[in-house]
Amino acid sequence: MVQKKDFRRLAPHLWEVPAGTRDDMRVPARIYADEELFSLTFEDRSAEQLINTATLPGIVGWALAMPDIHQGYGFPIGGVAATLLPSGAISPGGVGYDINCGVRLLTTQLNEEEIRPHLNALMDALFREIPSGVGKGHSAALAARQLDRVLEEGASWAVAQGYGTKEDLVHTEESGSMKGGNAEAVSARAKSRAKDQLGTLGSGNHFIEVGVVDRVFDARIAERFGLAEGRIVLWIHSGSRALGHQVCTDSVRELQAAAARYGYRLPDRELACAPLDSPEGQRYFQAMVCAANFAWANRQMMTHLARIAFERVLAGKVRDHHLRMLYDVAHNIAKIEEHVVDGRRVKVCVHRKGATRAFGPGLSAVPEAYRDLGQPVLIPGSMGSASYVLVGTEKAMQESFGSTCHGAGRTLSRHAAKRAVTGQELRQQLESQGIIVRAGSLGGLAEEAPEAYKDVDRVVEIVHQAGLALKVARTRPIGVMKG
Amino acid sequence: MERGYREVPHTADVALEVWGHDLAELFANAAAGMFDLAVRAEPAAPIVAWREVSLTAPDVETLLVDWLNELLLLSEEHGEAYVSFQVSLPTPGELVARVGATRAFARRRAVKAATFHNLTIHETPDGYRAVIVFDV
Repeated sequence: MVQKKDFRRLAPHLWEVPAGTRDDMRVPARIYADEELFSLTFEDRSAEQLINTATLPGIVGWALAMPDIHQGYGFPIGGVAATLLPSGAISPGGVGYDINCGVRLLTTQLNEEEIRPHLNALMDALFREIPSGVGKGHSAALAARQLDRVLEEGASWAVAQGYGTKEDLVHTEESGSMKGGNAEAVSARAKSRAKDQLGTLGSGNHFIEVGVVDRVFDARIAERFGLAEGRIVLWIHSGSRALGHQVCTDSVRELQAAAARYGYRLPDRELACAPLDSPEGQRYFQAMVCAANFAWANRQMMTHLARIAFERVLAGKVRDHHLRMLYDVAHNIAKIEEHVVDGRRVKVCVHRKGATRAFGPGLSAVPEAYRDLGQPVLIPGSMGSASYVLVGTEKAMQESFGSTCHGAGRTLSRHAAKRAVTGQELRQQLESQGIIVRAGSLGGLAEEAPEAYKDVDRVVEIVHQAGLALKVARTRPIGVMKG
Repeated sequence: MERGYREVPHTADVALEVWGHDLAELFANAAAGMFDLAVRAEPAAPIVAWREVSLTAPDVETLLVDWLNELLLLSEEHGEAYVSFQVSLPTPGELVARVGATRAFARRRAVKAATFHNLTIHETPDGYRAVIVFDV
């Protein structure tokens, strides 16, 4: 078992264990953390899982962990691994169960004083318009053929139906419509679980939050992103619902058999994988793209519903109630990208599991409006805590396959969180801070208590100091809606 | 009757420790424990339907994961929870079961999938034991 003492400190916020520390490692493993968060990595199986990631067939560079690392299935959450095309492995465990769990941020011209008198009504309207919670769906089920289009076209399907604008798409990673999806690769079972879930928030850590910009770190970039101190924003954090989970379940099972066929020896069954260019690897990739597109369509539909809620409550009462898309990022996904590895530009499959793309300036994948700056990086905090907007960097391109952290990262289990604080106490605690809460279940609320997470300010400070993304602005919540 | 499971701490998700005198009992207890995590059924809730499940898998751990995921899907599809489990395993790779459904329940949390995370079914002096991690 790899221990703390096997790691060398390469920089104030970077620790590395060389390849060969365990026989089956193919590359070194690196953790971005300060001393305390680094130590925390050894309190559960996160570090061991990171070492397991370093054994992935075809992995290049390093197996990476962000400061929000915590124990996941197979790979740790907060992990990044790139495998070399054409035959490097793709692993559903490197993406996670909630494929394209991600977050989008919408900006407004409103300030806090303008919205305060209407905030209760606005939270009610959001809660009414956007179905949330366990098993909550829409009454109108999608026809099978429509669903196939959602899976292959993603958010652009939603915009074609009138749910949003072209600008929304331009300001979404992959334009909300990732190429390479094939609806036939998605099982009938996964599709049947999706049929009434489009435009729904779901439960767990998913939320919709009305926030206010309370700190600006880089005024020039903040202005370009449409952010200024005191300005109201809307965060939407959600994923691919039951469909993505079913794609992952189907694939982990199928790829276990495939891994055996390709002679892979896996240290953990949840690391099931296959060469990207094998029929099994391709099928997973195609199905994963479909689930990612479903998630983008889903966040797009919720954006539309949120705009309806803003219109209903605020039209005529404030100067300008419009919600403008800043950006939308995936934090559970595998993507084919070009990166420089050992001095050579190569195509790799970058697995980001609980990690956010943080592309620096000049890349065509960054929307034109931000291309000279780098892409917006959106880091939601835990419920009730601050969230951050950062900007991608050239250093991230060199060191982390253009990736950074995704959030705060759990430290307490859901079970322990629930014992530590009841939903009712938490609601009172948040309301005493002036945060209005709408939640489907009080138990679900308690599982997401801020105490269950690492401090987001600290996690973000580490990636900022390490140069993997730079702080632009911070928001604090004033209204939270949870499933 | 003594329960054949208990919830154990796990950082990101929820985990159940499950035991049974034989594999069939372990499988039945795992299912009962999973529905206890997901729903709160009314005590003595009437059984309104029986569903048949039959599965095959390359090994017993995969069979356990398939079994639990199958029940989650049936539950979602029919809008019911299962409270009674008659399970038999003719071989460690084969399962035949009847499960009793109720509609008198409230959902507690979304249990989205049973996982292979660290999953091993151990033989113990009293039978079998396993820790199952659920994606929630």
